[in-house]
Parts: sequence; C-alpha cells; structure tokens
Amino acid sequence: MTESKPVLHVGIDLGTSRSSISASNGQRHVVESYVGWPLDMVARKVLKKPVLIGQEALDNRSMLDLHRPLEEGLIKDGSEKDEAAVRELLWHLLSLVGVARETRNGMKVRAVVGVPAEALRVNKQNVRKAMQDAVDSLMIVSEPFAVAYGLEALLHTMIIDLGAGTTDFCVMNGRLPADEEQRTLTQAGDWIDEQLSRLTRERFPDARFSIHMVRAWKEESSFVGATRNPVVVTVPVNGKPTAIDITQEMRQACEGLLPPIVESMLDLLSRVQPDYQEKVRNNIVVSGGTGLIRGLGPRLEQELAAVGGGKVKVVKDPVFVGSDGGLSIALDAPDADWEKLTS
Amino acid sequence: MRGYTAARCRRAASHLSRKGLRYRGLLRMPQSKANVDRLKRRLLHDLVQQNVELIQGRRRRPSRPRRVPYLRLAGALALVVLSTALIGSTRLLSTLSAAPPPLRTLAASQARQVLPTSPSPAREAGPPSQAAPAPGLAAAAAIDPAVLPLAVRRIALDAGHGGDSLGTRTPLGLLEKDITLDIVRRLRELLEAGHDFEVVMTRGDDDAVSLAERAAIANRSGADVFVSVHVNWFEDRGSRGVETYFLGPTNDPFLNRLAALENRDSGYSMSDMRQLLDGIYAGVRQDKSRQLAQVVQAALFRSLGRVNPGIENRGVKSAPFIVLLSTQMPAILAEVSCASNAEEARLLARPLYRQYIAEALAGGLRAYASEARGGAAAHGG
Repeated sequence: MTESKPVLHVGIDLGTSRSSISASNGQRHVVESYVGWPLDMVARKVLKKPVLIGQEALDNRSMLDLHRPLEEGLIKDGSEKDEAAVRELLWHLLSLVGVARETRNGMKVRAVVGVPAEALRVNKQNVRKAMQDAVDSLMIVSEPFAVAYGLEALLHTMIIDLGAGTTDFCVMNGRLPADEEQRTLTQAGDWIDEQLSRLTRERFPDARFSIHMVRAWKEESSFVGATRNPVVVTVPVNGKPTAIDITQEMRQACEGLLPPIVESMLDLLSRVQPDYQEKVRNNIVVSGGTGLIRGLGPRLEQELAAVGGGKVKVVKDPVFVGSDGGLSIALDAPDADWEKLTS
Repeated sequence: MRGYTAARCRRAASHLSRKGLRYRGLLRMPQSKANVDRLKRRLLHDLVQQNVELIQGRRRRPSRPRRVPYLRLAGALALVVLSTALIGSTRLLSTLSAAPPPLRTLAASQARQVLPTSPSPAREAGPPSQAAPAPGLAAAAAIDPAVLPLAVRRIALDAGHGGDSLGTRTPLGLLEKDITLDIVRRLRELLEAGHDFEVVMTRGDDDAVSLAERAAIANRSGADVFVSVHVNWFEDRGSRGVETYFLGPTNDPFLNRLAALENRDSGYSMSDMRQLLDGIYAGVRQDKSRQLAQVVQAALFRSLGRVNPGIENRGVKSAPFIVLLSTQMPAILAEVSCASNAEEARLLARPLYRQYIAEALAGGLRAYASEARGGAAAHGG
C-alpha cells in the first residue's frame, strides 16, 4: 500500500496590485502585492521582522525597501530582488491557508496560478521558477481563462479582466483560447492612477499627494459617464489639509481607458465566427478590481449598440474570482495529470 | 496541524466556490451539466498538455526531426541540383556584375557557405527565386526547396547601432542603440530557452561595431540566418508600424536615403563592394531572405497588434542595406517600431512591449525554421 499524503489544492491570482488565494480547505485570503525589507538595522529593530508583506509593508513603507514585484501582471525581469519578492509573496499566501514554509505540514500542495492572457513563455517560466520550492505540482493558466472556468462561462463568452497592471481579454469557444482569441492591454488600473495623478497635479500644483493616495481615491470613487456625487478628497496644500474637487479629473482618467478597451472588445468580437457573434456579444463578463468603475458596464453596452447590441455583466466581488477559478481547475484536474506537473 | 483528505478538501472547496458564484448571480450553465463536464475535461486535458510542454521546454532538449537516414541522399541530390542551379544562374550573374566570376570560383565560394564548419550539411543552399524568376532561369527556379534539409540551427542577431552610433531616439530620449540591444538580449533568451537554436550576437554590449565587422561575425560563425533589429523614425510623426527589409534594389528615394544613412559607417571600401556584389549568387539567398522577411513581418504585425492596436503593417521591402549585402546567409533587417511616433515611443519605453517584440521575432524565426525543416522532412518522407 502506498502512503498517501493529504492534498491541498490552491488557486492563486498573482496580481500587480493585489494577490489572492483560494484553498481547498475553505480558506480565502487577499493581500496587497507589496513586499518590503527593512532598510537598515534600526528599521529591523523597530519592525521586528525580516520581511513585511501586503498592507503591513505599505503602512511601513518609509522604513522599507519596498517592492511591488509584478509589473504589468508579470514578474519584473532583471531584478533578483523582485524575484525574491515574488517568492516571499507566494510563501506568504500559502502560509495564510495553512502551509508551513519548510514542511508544508506534510501536505502535498497543488497550485494553479493565473498569469496575464498573453504572458510569454519566459514569464511563465519565471513563475514556475519562483514557485518550484513552494508547491509539489504547478499549473499555469491565463487569468481570464481561470475566471471563465470558475464561472463556467466556457462557451460563447468574452471575459474582460480589468486588473491593475493589465486588461486581459479572452473569448471562450469551448477550447483553450488561441492567440487570436486573447489580448492583453497595458492600460489598466495603474494607468488610470498615473493619469489621475497627472491631471490632479496640473490643476492643483501646490497639492501634495502620493500614488498610493491616488489609488485609494480611484478605488473609492472611479466612474465613467455622469455622476451625482462629486469626488472631493482632502490633501495637504501648502501644508494645510484642503478639500479639492477632482470630479472632472477622475472622469477624464477613467474614460481614457475606454477607447483601447472598446477597440479591443469590438476587434475580438469581429474575429468570432459570424454564427456565434451575437451569442458572444450577449455574454460579456467584466471581472477584476478595475472592472468596478461605476458605469463601465452600461457604457460598454452603449458601444456594443453600434454592432447590434449586447449585454455586459460585471462581477460584483472580483477579489476572488480569479483564485476561485484557479481552485476549480485544481480540483477538477485528475491526479494523474497533477503527477505530470510535478515541480 | 490539521490534515485534509483530498476528498474532504474537494467537497469543502466545491461547496464554497459554487455558493460564492451563485451568490454573485453569475454561475451560468449554457448547456447541460454533462456537456459542461465534457467540455471541462477537454479543456483540462489541453491545459495540462500546454503546461507539460512548458516544463519540457525548460528541462529537456526537444527531439530534433529525424533526418539522418536522408542526409546522404539529400547531400547527393544537393550536389546535382546545385550544379544545375549554378549553370542556370550564370546568366543572372552577368546582369549583377560586369565581370562575373568564373563558374568554378563561384561554386567554390558557394561550397564554403554550403558546407561550413558546422556538421549540418548543405545548410545555406536554397532554391533560386521563385517569386520573380529571372528570364532563362527556368531550371534553377524549378528546384524544390524540400530537396535540401535546410535546418536553421544558428542564428546571428544584430542589435542595430551601438557605441558612438546612437541611432534614432524617442522624444523622451531613449536611444535606438539601447532599445535594439535590449530587444536582442530578450530574443536571445527566448531562442536559447527551447534549446532549438544557438545564438550569435554581433554585439552583446554598448559597443561600436562596424557593419563590416557585424557581417564578419555572422559569416565566421556559420550562422544560418541573420536578423538585424532597428527602430524606425519618420518626419511625419503620425507614421508608425513595423516593416522588414531584405536585400534588393529600390526606386524609393526615401529608402535609398535611409540605406545610405545606415550604410554610412560600413567599414567597406569600393573594392570590397565588387566582392560583395559577387556574393549575391543567383538570387538564392535573396529568395530565402524574402521568405524570412515575410514570415517575420507577419509575426511582428500580428503579435504587436494586440498591444499596439494602431500599428501599421508597412510591409516587406527590399533595400540595399550593406549589412544585408555582406552577410552570407538569408538576412533581414527589421524595423520593429517607430521612435518618432509618440504612442510607439511610449510603448518602446516599456519592458513588456520590448518583450513582445522579442517574442514576435522569435515566433517568426521559429516559423521560418519550421517551414525549412518541414520542407525537408516532407520530401524525405
């Protein structure tokens, strides 16, 4: 009789801004994708930890060599520190669902990790490299595919996954999406942050704020189209906390994302077999944190009217949709297949 | 520590996951449960296969096409066909050079290229132009490319400019020499990762290397193909896109100006030029270069279009770039984006976009290599 270790399946959505993990023991966690090492001995003494991760790292950033290791959804290349940061992040996620670093608690860990739709071979191999000591078996999937799988939206559906680093498109036709059925844009949540920061700085040159503050404003108040609620934020102006109205800047920054998204959506639709175009138009799913921009779904439907109309559904709780999809894949894959994917 | 059995974990997670999805009102069942399950099984099978290939690409050298049993036959055929081609090509040579080299000299020089130090036989010899056959070359044009096992094993990569030769620059000051070097380094990594190719670089750093030296490096290494990477620049800031060149004449004054600029520091004398021109034997290499350019251009346009929706396909063109003239293997010069266009300049500044360019070039080279291998394999049975 062979000894069988208990198996833990996990789905991981490794995001530029946030990373989430869903595990087969029922646990789900999300962390900010930040990793920081104390800058010096003093910082180490104050922080009492060799490495800080997530919100804790963000909160103590002044004392840290802070890394956000995933650029545009991929492990930044050429920096050992960023590779180390990804490893720390993965270990941290696994520890949150009960996997001890050295022993893995005697469990066999099988992981599905989502990467951007058009992640290249080298980037996928970087993910494999980063995870090889942390898990027993690893499967890498495109993020929108993981979302589609989790939602069982496998046929005649378009997934638009709006993250922080990338916007991923994927048309599901009952098979693994081919290259021409997937697309990745680098205009996504971070791009909005940059635009909003620039526009606010132009209008309020004396205001002082950081990109982290801008990100928080966007997450709180982003919208396209009309709004009844003005976006007012408080920032130091000449050292004095001052309320400034950034409604116009917020609209402009968010709407700047529309042209590339609409263009890619319509272009991908035009490549779908004519028999199925209407079905796909009526089955568009928007996921990802940036997909929560108010008014985005109706606005995309407006654009679809020009090609015969369509329906856009926005996933209301996008935080775990990618990692849940990864977990579904992990659970459905037969043991024999997992054995082929041993790290 | 709490242990989890696989079955218990599956049940817990499945319940959690389904509950969550139903709550969000997004769980859809487009077809019957049985159909969805069948669909999922097929998708999982393909997904696992894809991942297994990814692992194998990293870990083991993929098996080469079996060609040993055909080498001798192909070699003998190559000699016969090559002789026929050379006899047929003498007429074209007379149009390329006022005093063409004697047939024996040409055959000898060609033999050096056909049988370099590498053990791979008859790598360079290819069919004469089929796209635009010269009059009187019917016999040469009729060579079936499948006759020769044209394995592409060694690739010479040339990062345009370097050292004092800055090339063009983006409005934000990014230099062409740095962009091309970064792309070529990425391309090298991609090509070497699969163990399918050996890569030779004409410069690995910010070095000044003359065009003559670049060609010499490629020629000495016995490279099977040569790819020079450049970034375009236009006075019209709205112009953008990708274009790929192979060696040939052009009537376009802009291209002649561009070639003159690129050839400026070639390191060749006038007397060298005669020898170089003699090297364009019977359009054989030119034809393979055209084919390579077409495949690479298609890959560039198709791949970059996904991240650069406004990209223009500026097509495959011929132009007299020295670096293409002086190399002894199929050679192309790819203008991979345009530094004078604001949008493409912005993209070029992003590592991910440069990675896309490298991936597109790698895809084109693999497709070309595969076509070459496929032709030989199909013929060999």
